[in-house]
Amino acid sequence: MVGSVMSRKSFFFWVLMILVLVVVLFPLYWILITALKTPLENISPIPTFFPRKITLMNFAGVITGGFFRNLVNSLFVAFTSTLFSLVLAFFASYALVRYKFPFKINIIFLIWVLVVKILPPMVLSIPLYTLFTKVKLINNLWGLILVNQVYTLPYCIWMLFGFMKGMPIEFEQAAEIDGASKMKTVTNVVIPLSSSGIVATAIFSIIIAWDEFLFALLFIRTPRLQTLPLKIVSFITEYETLWGELMAIGLLATLPVLLFSGYYYKRLTEGFSLGLK
Amino acid sequence: MRTLKTNSRTTFFTLIFLPAIVVVLFLTVYPVLNTIILAFFKYNYLSDERAFIGIRNFLTIGKDTVFQSALLNTILFATVATISEVLLGILLALMFYGEFPGKRPIMITVIFPMMVSTMVICAVWKVLYHYDIGLFNYILRTLGLKPIGWLIDQNKALLSIILVDIWQWTPFAFLVMQAGLSSIPKEVFEASSIDGAGYYRNLFLITLPILSNQILLVVMLRTIDTFRIFGKVYALTQGGPGNSTETISYYIYREGFSYFNLGRASASALYALVIISLIAVFYIKGIMKEEN
Repeated sequence: MVGSVMSRKSFFFWVLMILVLVVVLFPLYWILITALKTPLENISPIPTFFPRKITLMNFAGVITGGFFRNLVNSLFVAFTSTLFSLVLAFFASYALVRYKFPFKINIIFLIWVLVVKILPPMVLSIPLYTLFTKVKLINNLWGLILVNQVYTLPYCIWMLFGFMKGMPIEFEQAAEIDGASKMKTVTNVVIPLSSSGIVATAIFSIIIAWDEFLFALLFIRTPRLQTLPLKIVSFITEYETLWGELMAIGLLATLPVLLFSGYYYKRLTEGFSLGLK
Repeated sequence: MRTLKTNSRTTFFTLIFLPAIVVVLFLTVYPVLNTIILAFFKYNYLSDERAFIGIRNFLTIGKDTVFQSALLNTILFATVATISEVLLGILLALMFYGEFPGKRPIMITVIFPMMVSTMVICAVWKVLYHYDIGLFNYILRTLGLKPIGWLIDQNKALLSIILVDIWQWTPFAFLVMQAGLSSIPKEVFEASSIDGAGYYRNLFLITLPILSNQILLVVMLRTIDTFRIFGKVYALTQGGPGNSTETISYYIYREGFSYFNLGRASASALYALVIISLIAVFYIKGIMKEEN
């Protein structure tokens, strides 16, 4: 029986598989070769499947054109947004798991957080924009980090809440009997116990913040403060696009994320009920 | 002594809970309330003129054909993208069922599209779709066919954007479905073993009810995500040609950030809010059921 299933996988199966892989990989391959072609070859009406002449000039152009500035902005925003969300979400989830607040606050809060996840961010953007203009948080990376909490905080709360729900209480009770203060119990017992959950949540949250575009578009005004998605869009919507440089940025912005793909895959296949909803 | 201890417990947990509450309230309750108020005003941000006009914003927007087509486009986008992603996800999961050499690395490769930044994806599809220098039209021309205005033809542009979304998010649907499938004992599938295409058709029919939870999850998540679609439209077509790819989010963006009509923008945001809350009720019910 197993044999017949295996043989079914022989020819038809592998033809399909190659087709799937081509569909998945082809655009990524196109990013790579477009980045390696000369500007002239990139605007030829007869696209070449392999660069006639491999050049690194697009990468050089991107790097001298201030790419690192945008990279640093993106890294700073993604990591700081995540750190901020993680701290808030960690304490909130711990409180939700271990303490029953009056007036059904626990459940109301969790539902409200879900509502935030569902709201189209555009709906929130107008009042936030006028408010941030008043308090000088427009065109300010800290302002962007604050408004990014709309994405990262609900995500971190639900994911960490999912992890911490299953955490045994005995270790905390033991620490308390030993006379440890509440805060000491958190740092010495709770954080180590939930560390794998914290790492997973952090990685997913960084990827979300790394990809964020809408708020960056609305809240960042000067090229010096642009994050990578903004930089890429300013290239795309230009009248005469430098395709090679655009793809070079895309490639440089993508490689760090693809390094995580093994871990990402493992997490996604393991814990679907956790944070993805 | 005991009350002292419970008091300190209450204080501790309240204190560590408060910061998250404050941030969530600030980022959501304030904006939503503000939007509700502004929706009843004629308010231009640039000229700073502000006048109460009752429900007139809602009436004019409801009659605005651009808004109507934006709504229609959004619904079309959400429906076509979600259904395609779910179906393709199930088919892929079935194809990947069982063991074969190289399964793990192949699966990791297949999820690449959902990991690449959306704007990078838009960039490469914009080149591929390009009317003059794009690969797709080059292939069509070589085959002796007419080139297609992928992003510049009013009747095709929205579908072209949907196609990009399908490419990016089918891997996600696939992963969820495949997690659901792997929990099913092999015998279920072997019982249905007949030859060739019949085998796959039977698998498909058997799997649908088994995967109902996963299907529901993906449908919910993809509907919510596609309903807010903005970035791809901005990068690929800017709502054009004409208004053929304008979506709800894009409409709000134009009203608010190009014309600075904050009153009209708020009113259209409230329309979006009402529609999304209908979807949200189902979603939240489903998740809370799972939690309990």
